[in-house]
Amino acid sequence: MWSDSSPSTNPVGTPVFEVLAAGIACLTDLGRPGLSRKGIAVNGAADQFSATAANILVGNPESAPLVEITASALTVGFARAALVSVTGAPATVACDGQLHRTWEPICVPAGATLSISDVHNGLRRYLAVRGTLQVSRTHGSCAPDTLLGVGTWLRAGSRVPFDTDYVPFDHPIFRHPLFRLAVPVPRFGSPWTISVTDGPDLPRLRRLEESLFAAPYLVTPDSNHIGLRLRGPAPARTDSGEILSRGVPVGAIEVTPSGELLVLQRGRPVTAGYPVAAVATSVAQSALGQAGPGDVLRFRRRSLSDAVATCRARRHALDALTTRVCTVLTRVGIHPPTGS
Amino acid sequence: MIGLDTVPYGDSAVLVTATGGTAEERWRAVQRLADVIEADQVTGVRDLVATYDSLLVEFDCTRTTHDDVASTCRAASGRPVRSTTPPTTWRVPVVYGGEHGPDLPDVAVQLGLSPDSVVGLHVETPWVVRFTGSPVGAPMMDGSRLPGPISRCPSPRTRVPTGSVAVSGRQCVIYPVSSPGGWRLIGRTPAHLSPRPGDVVRFEPIDESRWHTGV
Repeated sequence: MWSDSSPSTNPVGTPVFEVLAAGIACLTDLGRPGLSRKGIAVNGAADQFSATAANILVGNPESAPLVEITASALTVGFARAALVSVTGAPATVACDGQLHRTWEPICVPAGATLSISDVHNGLRRYLAVRGTLQVSRTHGSCAPDTLLGVGTWLRAGSRVPFDTDYVPFDHPIFRHPLFRLAVPVPRFGSPWTISVTDGPDLPRLRRLEESLFAAPYLVTPDSNHIGLRLRGPAPARTDSGEILSRGVPVGAIEVTPSGELLVLQRGRPVTAGYPVAAVATSVAQSALGQAGPGDVLRFRRRSLSDAVATCRARRHALDALTTRVCTVLTRVGIHPPTGS
Repeated sequence: MIGLDTVPYGDSAVLVTATGGTAEERWRAVQRLADVIEADQVTGVRDLVATYDSLLVEFDCTRTTHDDVASTCRAASGRPVRSTTPPTTWRVPVVYGGEHGPDLPDVAVQLGLSPDSVVGLHVETPWVVRFTGSPVGAPMMDGSRLPGPISRCPSPRTRVPTGSVAVSGRQCVIYPVSSPGGWRLIGRTPAHLSPRPGDVVRFEPIDESRWHTGV
């Protein structure tokens, strides 16, 4: 359904958004799963739930490229009309000065400026634009990977072309159409409650009831997309033997020899050899992607079946959202969401 | 006889560990199992990490279950895979010690050897590539002739230079790109290699003056 024209052959016809002011912002998607045997981490949006919801809200495939904004404001100019959404941690979103809700579609008129500012209670926001952002991909993904040396970072003057089928529509009374799609928005802000299931090395560790499952942990400044390093009481090891390197999932909470806890993020090495005390649930991993230096984490021990049930409930919620968005967009004459 | 233990690893992964037999047999079993599951494209399976004696199977828990993934692995464990290519031997020049191998003195102290003896034993070892892992396909090797295991750094470095040759436990690795790492750095190579599981790496000491000659 997209136009075949590329920006090089049709510079006039292709919509572009231009970055007017940026702090830390990049193009990303849901990452590159399936490459662990090549030693390539999944990476992609740190808060997968917010990124997925942002794309659903504009009727994009869930894994479509979008903008990830980290701990900073972003101002973007749209020469042509666009349907966008902003999700993630709280922020003030305005279009030519008029305030808009986050976690709802926003109709941006041609020539308008969209600003995302006053960011608080979490590190990351996502800006999705209906259509296909024209990005360079490595192994099928545009997500930054510092080890592969790939990634598109946005700064003032960056121009991002995109194909879109969006045709502006109007509200009969208000200047901008308003949506109420009722996304189940998670709670944002420190202290973050992180649900975890037992890790495979629990028998090698002691005093978990007084440490991991009880005490607050502080996210330290040397945390990044590879891992969050935490300050707090360390579980004690019952042995000092080395563990053979083995595969380790995102969300694993390792106990390092220095007694620090390391929570693995999406850029983590695919193997590790430190004991793993617990594993953040799939749902909690999105919250971990929002936690920044100075934030406090509290871990809550959950059963495996409870973690799976929560993950499935969230999947159902996203599927239900997709259905609502499809209904709404069809009513205003926009094609149903594609590819998801 | 090789057995398989499976344990849940979070809500979306199972860790399969080979038991019984020799280390060599356990390694073959998990590598072969990964090949079979990769070729089968099992529903819901997202990613695989096969190492020495274990296979991590990551999956989408909204599409499959821990039990289904575990039984898929058990059913697949006996199946043969397509024949593989014969192993390659890689000769890898290394500048040992100094700024290229800042942990060589620590490793020597841990083993009660001189730095030169550590280098001698490291060079003497026919290192076998067991798997390629992070970062970006780093060859994980074993077969160490060093007299004991090496402990990891108490706190991982935030940046290990490209080409660093590092040891930990009874393993050795070459960092193909600059990355964080917790292993002890004993040298560095200007060479680039792309080995596969089963290949052999022989290290050759070179003088620092030869670093830029392309060797």
